[in-house]
Amino acid sequence: MSMQLSVLTDNLPYLLWGAYPDGPLGGAALTVLLSAGSALASALLGLALGVALSLARGWPQLLLTMVLGFFRAIPVLMLIFWTYFLLPIVFHIDVPGVLSVMCALALIGGAYLAHSVHAGIGGVKAGQWDAGLSLGMTRMAVLHHIVLPQALQMMLPSFVNQWVTLVKDSSLAYIVGVGELSFVAAQVNSRVMIYPAEIFMFIGLIYFVLCSGLGLLAGRVAAHFGSAQNWQLDQAR
Amino acid sequence: MTEFQAALGQMLAPKYLGWLVDGLWMTLQLSAVVAVLSTLLGVVVAAARSSRQPWLLLPAGGFLSVFRNTPLLVQLFFWYFGVSSLLPDGSVEWLNTVHSVALGPYLTLTWPSFELLCAIFGLSLYSAAYVSEEIRAGMRGVAEAQRLAAAALGLDRWQGLRYVILPQAIRIALPPLLGQYMNIVKNTSLTMAIGLAELSYTSRQVEAQTFKTFQAFGVATLFYIAAIALIETAGQLLQRRQRLAGGTQR
Repeated sequence: MSMQLSVLTDNLPYLLWGAYPDGPLGGAALTVLLSAGSALASALLGLALGVALSLARGWPQLLLTMVLGFFRAIPVLMLIFWTYFLLPIVFHIDVPGVLSVMCALALIGGAYLAHSVHAGIGGVKAGQWDAGLSLGMTRMAVLHHIVLPQALQMMLPSFVNQWVTLVKDSSLAYIVGVGELSFVAAQVNSRVMIYPAEIFMFIGLIYFVLCSGLGLLAGRVAAHFGSAQNWQLDQAR
Repeated sequence: MTEFQAALGQMLAPKYLGWLVDGLWMTLQLSAVVAVLSTLLGVVVAAARSSRQPWLLLPAGGFLSVFRNTPLLVQLFFWYFGVSSLLPDGSVEWLNTVHSVALGPYLTLTWPSFELLCAIFGLSLYSAAYVSEEIRAGMRGVAEAQRLAAAALGLDRWQGLRYVILPQAIRIALPPLLGQYMNIVKNTSLTMAIGLAELSYTSRQVEAQTFKTFQAFGVATLFYIAAIALIETAGQLLQRRQRLAGGTQR
């Protein structure tokens, strides 16, 4: 048992932050950075595309729906292959693996979130639009000041689900050799050879803490928003 | 952009297209088996989650929490590397060697490779954690009066579930279930990490052999889109048939 635990304690710093500070950042720290970066990018992309999907009519809407459908139909892994291969060709520069993975995750996450944002905007009652427009506000102003604040609260659960998915999908960076948590775990595993169950269970535990922690945090934020909103309603009465 | 034009100018040789078709076939077979197994397991977990017995409720909740909050890749690694180290000596060798049973002169059943077994096992457990929640949502969508009516007819809890609640629940849950089946097709791509020769694996193999990256990934991407479109179409046909059937019942 002590031998089995020592495989974890001996490799703990490497699993947590890679070769840093002597080498590049890796391990769980890189997983967190990679996930946070793609979470932010996918949220912005999802918001922009979701608003575009709600405002567009006719063929631009059809085109946008098809593009979003494409990103939702292909495996994340396949998109990582594409960005890893295409980004350097398109931009004629050396793109680090982390960035191509982040780009793939942001595109897929953004495509899913766009539909949630679209549904959230659709869920705000038509009377809210009419009220804003009759006050002389432009469509963009109604969207910004009246519709989106209400829609975003409804959408919080789907954003959090998407972020949990992002943390899990960041493990696919393993395939293109980015040194995040899954990759360093596989490295340690092939070096040590004899305790694979212990290593992957420990890695699973780290992911579990990250993902369920995110879920708990979101629950508290939602409860806070919910009570704040109720409080405002009470004040208004 | 000349690189693009040069890349697009050449098609893949039939031999390499054949590799990709083999990969697609493996992806489709694996997806079908996993869809069936995860639905069966999903029904069991959903039933346990809607039970009032804590000894059923708690393990089912724990299962969902663990399998939904860890990456599929790590789960596959755990089953592939971890379990083989925990199994008794020799059993992995036995699992890895080819066993076949001849059923008559034409049909031979071949025991799947260890990679395929791990892929089926790992994917089924992971997918069941998602499928079961869709089924449970479907079960909650069935009116409480249906359960009471089943009880009034003298059906016990299990019979009521089997003959009254589940058939209606599956019907309600069909659209989200099909979404989960699409996820299963996409998730099979992760099994390339444990060396299963499915579509993503073969696309990378073709790429490495031919250096025709654009074509190799392009054909594989089209295959995935076609598989997803197939499920989408099947779902729409099923739903139309259900609507018709529902109309005649009323």
